[in-house]
Amino acid sequence: MTPRRTFSGTVTALVLLFFHAPLIVLVANSFNASRFGGTWEGFTLHWYTDLAANREVLEAFGRTLKIALLATPAATLLGTLAAFALHRHHSRLQSAHLVCVQLPLVLPEILMGFSLLLFFIATGWGLGITAIWAAHVTFCISFVAMIILARLQDFDFTLVDAARDLGASAWQVAWRVLLPLLWPGILAGALMAFTLSIDDFVITFFVSGPGTTTLPVQIYSMMKTSRSLPVINALSALLLFGTILLVATSQWLTRPPRRP
Amino acid sequence: MEKSRNPRSAPAIRTTEWWLTLPSFGWLLVFFVIPALIILVISFRTPDVTGGIGSGWTWGNWSAWLHADVRVLTLRTLWVSAETTAVCLALAIPVAWFMARCSVAWRGTLLLLVILPFWTNFLIRVFAWKVLLNQDGLAARLARALHIIGDGDTLLYHPGAVLLVLVYTHLPFAILPLYAAAEKFDFSLLDAARDLGASAPRAFFSVFVPGIGAGVGAAALMVFVATLGNYLIPEIVGGHESDMLGNRIAQRALSDRNLPEAAALASGLALAAVVLAAALWKWQRRQVRTHATNGPAEANPARHLQSENS
Amino acid sequence: MNKRKFLRSLAATTAIASCDRHADPARSGPATLQIYMWADYIKPALVQQFELQNKCRVVIDTFDSNEAMYAKLKAGATGFDIALPSSYMVKLMKEQDLLSQIDRVMVPNLVNISADVASKVHDKMMTHSVPYAVGHTVLAYRKDKLPKPEPTWATLERPEVKGRCTLLNDMRETLGAALKHLGHSINTRDDQHLAAARDLVLRWKKSTVKFDNEAYKTGIDSGEFSLVHGYSGDLFQVVSDNDKVGILVPQEGIVMSCDEFVILRQGQNPLLAHQFINFMLEANISAENMQEIGYLSPNKPALDLVSRDFFDHPAIRIPDEVKAKVEVIEDLGPDLPKWTKAWDEVKAG
Repeated sequence: MTPRRTFSGTVTALVLLFFHAPLIVLVANSFNASRFGGTWEGFTLHWYTDLAANREVLEAFGRTLKIALLATPAATLLGTLAAFALHRHHSRLQSAHLVCVQLPLVLPEILMGFSLLLFFIATGWGLGITAIWAAHVTFCISFVAMIILARLQDFDFTLVDAARDLGASAWQVAWRVLLPLLWPGILAGALMAFTLSIDDFVITFFVSGPGTTTLPVQIYSMMKTSRSLPVINALSALLLFGTILLVATSQWLTRPPRRP
Repeated sequence: MEKSRNPRSAPAIRTTEWWLTLPSFGWLLVFFVIPALIILVISFRTPDVTGGIGSGWTWGNWSAWLHADVRVLTLRTLWVSAETTAVCLALAIPVAWFMARCSVAWRGTLLLLVILPFWTNFLIRVFAWKVLLNQDGLAARLARALHIIGDGDTLLYHPGAVLLVLVYTHLPFAILPLYAAAEKFDFSLLDAARDLGASAPRAFFSVFVPGIGAGVGAAALMVFVATLGNYLIPEIVGGHESDMLGNRIAQRALSDRNLPEAAALASGLALAAVVLAAALWKWQRRQVRTHATNGPAEANPARHLQSENS
Repeated sequence: MNKRKFLRSLAATTAIASCDRHADPARSGPATLQIYMWADYIKPALVQQFELQNKCRVVIDTFDSNEAMYAKLKAGATGFDIALPSSYMVKLMKEQDLLSQIDRVMVPNLVNISADVASKVHDKMMTHSVPYAVGHTVLAYRKDKLPKPEPTWATLERPEVKGRCTLLNDMRETLGAALKHLGHSINTRDDQHLAAARDLVLRWKKSTVKFDNEAYKTGIDSGEFSLVHGYSGDLFQVVSDNDKVGILVPQEGIVMSCDEFVILRQGQNPLLAHQFINFMLEANISAENMQEIGYLSPNKPALDLVSRDFFDHPAIRIPDEVKAKVEVIEDLGPDLPKWTKAWDEVKAG
C-alpha cells in the first residue's frame, strides 16, 4: 500500500502545517515591532510588557479563570453521575436522559446562547456572572458525560464483581474500586470542561452583563478597537505555552495505570 | 448491565437509578430543555418595537423563513455547511487512514499535534488567519505572484476566506471520530479484498470507507451542524456575500429589538439540527446491529475534544 | 502527584474562588462604578484620576451601536450605573423607564453646558441626561491610494477604492449618508426616499468589502482599506498618529449625533454616578478629554481652554457650507420597521 501511504502521508503533513501555520505567524508577530504584522519591523519584547500593564486584559483573564474553576467541578460531578446512570441502566428514563445529554453536542452554540438569554430574561434571573456560570456548566456536562461513558464502556467490570465477591458493599466498591480506576477518565473530563469554559465566546457573549467581560469577549473587542493589537499576539503566545504545559501534565496524569 | 443479585433489592436499584440520573437530567431539563421550549414559545409572540416581546400571538415570525432574503441566507448557509463538510471529510479520511496505519508510538504524537493548536483560544486563531491573509502579508503576496488573485484583490472578506477558516476550525472534529473508527477497523479486510483482485483505490472506497461508516456519519453530522449556526467566522473574515443564518439570528436578537423573529429563526435551525441528528442516530443503531466488526462503542463515538462549536 | 493531594488542592482553589464570588462588592472593598459606553471614548488617565480621587473602581464595558446597547439593557443586564447613548436613544430609554432623574444639586458643573447645544437635544432641561460629546460621521481616505479626493459621498463609487472600502454597519448612519447624498432628510419616513436610499447603498455596497463599526480604524491606519466611513473622533485619533490618512467632509451634508450621560435606574451607585458626571464636566477635565478622544464637548468653559489647532483639525472642523446641511438623528418610533426592512434588503442584496 505504499502509494496510498505516501498520498495520505502528504495530506497529513499538509494538514498539520495548515493547523500550525497561523500559530507560528502569531507567535512570531508577538515579537514583531510592527503594529499590523504585515512586515517584519524588528525584534521587540514591548508587547509583552504592555500586556503586563494592561489591567483590562488581566482582569478579564482572572474572571475567566474564576468562572472556569467554579464551573468545572459542577460539570464534572454532574457529568460523571450522568455517565454512570447511562451506563448502568437502560430504561425509558435513560433514553430520555441520553437524548438530553447528546443534544447539546449537536446544536450550534448560538442556539444555546440565545435560549439561555431568553431563559434568564423570562425567569428574571438576569444576566451576569452566575448566568455565565450556569451556562458553562450546562454545555460542559455533555462532554464530560460522553468522555466518561466511553471509558466505562471499556471498563473491566469483573473487578467490581471480584470486589463484591470479597464482601465489599456497593459504596466501598464505588469509592475504592470504580473511582480510582476511572480517575484518569474523570480527570480528562474535568480538563475538557475547564478548556471549554475558558475558551467559550458565543454563549458567554449572549448572557454576559456589566463587568463580566471574560478573556474571549475582551479579545473580541480588542480585535476590533485596540490599536495595540499585537498585545493579543503576546497573550496568545503565553497561553499557547501554558496550554502545552497543561496538556503535558494531563498526558502524564492520564497515562495508563500499571496493572497488577 | 446490573444483574440483581437479590430479588429484594430491585426497588433499591430503581432508587439508585433516580439518584444517579436526577442531578444531571434535572439540570439539563432546567437549563437546556426549558430554554429551548421558551424559544419555541416566544417564536409565536408578536415583537414589540420598543424592544423585546409583545403580548400577542402570531404566526408572523415563522413567515420570516419565507422572505426572499432569508431564503437566500438559508441556501447560502446550507451550501457553505455542505462545502465545509465535504472538504473536511476529504481531508480527514486520508489523515485518519494514515494515523491508524502508523505505529502506536507515532499515533499518540500525531494526535497531539492535531489537537494542540485547538487548545488555544478560538478567537485568537481566527485573528491569526486575518493577519496571515492580510493584504500585504506573505500569503497574499504569494497568491498574487502565482496569479491566483488579481493585484487589487484581497484574500480576506469573501466566501473563500470564510470556507478556509470554517474548515480550519472544524477539521479536528472530523479527524477525531474518523480516527477513532479507523483505529478499530480491521485492516486485514483490505488484504482480503486485494487477494480477491480489487485494486488499491477500489479496496479503499469499497471496504475501508464503508467500514468506518459510523465515524464518517458522526464527523459529517458534527461539522455540518456546527457550521449551520456559525456567525462569528463570517462576521470576522467574511464580506458581504458571507452572511449566514447565524448572523441574522444574532442581529435580530442583539441589535434589531426583534426577539420573536430571532426565536423563529433559531427554532427552525434547531429543528433541522435535531432531525439530522436523529436520522444519523437511527442509522447508526442499525449499523451497530448489522455490523459485528464495530463494537458497541461505535454507538457513542467518544468526541475527545470539542472546543468552540460555533 | 497523588490523587488525594490533587483533589484537596482543587477543592481549596474552588473554595477560594467561590468565596470571592459571594463577597458583596458594596460592603467589602471599594465601590465599583459600572459604565456602558462606546470604545475609545474617554481618556484612560482621567478615569484613573477619578478612581484615585474618589477611592473607587471604574469598570467600562463597551458597545458598538446604540441598538446593541439598548437590546442588552432591555434584555436584563443589570448593574450598569451610567450609560452613554445617543440622544435619540435617550428619548426611548426615558419612555421605557430605564433612567433615573439627575439631581442638579449633585452636578453643579451642569452650568458649563452650552445652552445652544442643550436646546438641540431631546432632553433640553437635562433632567435625565447630560450631553457629553458631539460627533459626526465622515469619510477617511488613504492619501497614498486616492489622488485628488473630493468631499462628496460619491467618492465611494470611485474605481480607485473598489474592493478597499467600508461603510458603517449602522442602519441610521449608512442609509442616512445615502439620504443626504440624494437630498433627503435622515429622519425621513417616506417609503420612496427610503427605497432610493436603499438602492444607492446597494450600489455603494459593490465597492465595499464589509459593513463595519470598529475595525475600520485599524483598517485605514494599516492601509488595508483605502476609504472608510467612520466617526469623526475615531478618525481624529487615527489621523493624529498617521499622516497618510486624510478626512473628507461630504458637502451634501452629514449626520451628527450627540451622546449623553444617563444614570440608569438599575445602578447601585447613584452618588458615585453623579460625581463622575460632575467630574467629566469640569472645564479642564473636559478640555483634556476632548483633545484626546477627538469629539467636541458642548462645555463652554472647556471649549475656551482648547487650542485653536484642535478646532481647525480636519476631523473636527465642519466647513461652513456643510454646517447648514448637518442633521441630528432622531428616534423613528413606530416607523422603525420600515427602516429595518430597507436595511435588511441592503444586507441581503
